[in-house]
Amino acid sequence: MTDVQSDLLKGLSEEETARFLALGVPTRLAGRQTLFRLGTEADRAYLMVRGRIALTLPIRIRGAEEEVLVDEMQPGETVGWSGLVPPHRFTLNATAAIDSELLGFSRASVLDYFAAHPAVGYTVTRNLAGVIGHRLQVFQTMWLREMQRVVEQRYA
Amino acid sequence: MVMFATILIMSLLAVALCAAAFAAATRGEAQPEAQPERRLVLEPPRFFASPAAQPGEAPLVPVEVLLSQIERHVRLEQAAAEAYLDVPTRDSLHSRTTSPLLN
Repeated sequence: MTDVQSDLLKGLSEEETARFLALGVPTRLAGRQTLFRLGTEADRAYLMVRGRIALTLPIRIRGAEEEVLVDEMQPGETVGWSGLVPPHRFTLNATAAIDSELLGFSRASVLDYFAAHPAVGYTVTRNLAGVIGHRLQVFQTMWLREMQRVVEQRYA
Repeated sequence: MVMFATILIMSLLAVALCAAAFAAATRGEAQPEAQPERRLVLEPPRFFASPAAQPGEAPLVPVEVLLSQIERHVRLEQAAAEAYLDVPTRDSLHSRTTSPLLN
């Protein structure tokens, strides 16, 4: 598992990466198996090792609730960072699109490790901020594009 | 005789007043029944078209197809948003995609 190339671990030495990855608990999911559900307590974050995880949100279509894909996570990407960021509640549903493998990092183990290794904590936290910031920018742009269309349809 | 004629006239007058009051009261009760007719008049004419064929309503697409179209739309919009973030310009912010929901 030490050969994982992740956006979360950029800037760490090989040794630091190996030690940090050793905190992760291997988690295997069969296709269509749920990793976490919207609204549930998030006590861990995950690093994708293999496979594909679909992030979905419920949408009502003709009175019935359906799951709509909002993002798909690939190997190396971080899934469920709500486990590390307050208020520690998952805001999406995560399901394995195909057989997948992840490393699960409990919040307690990560925070303990960061306390003991502040330099690693700083680098990983900065990378995490980059992941969250990028997601925010993408969705902000998508929202603005939708708003533009609403304005064109409503007030054209 | 005069007294008899007076009583008869007074009785007829009372009956006429009662009939007028009854007619007025019955007219007041009948008003709510007239409302549906007014509502029918306000409905837009359909000219023999079925309700499903009214303009502005989307044809009934199967849910699976709709979900697949939404998924494709999200992927294309995400790609467009990523492209905008790589090179942020006013044009790339509102670039068009081939999303089935928009075309």
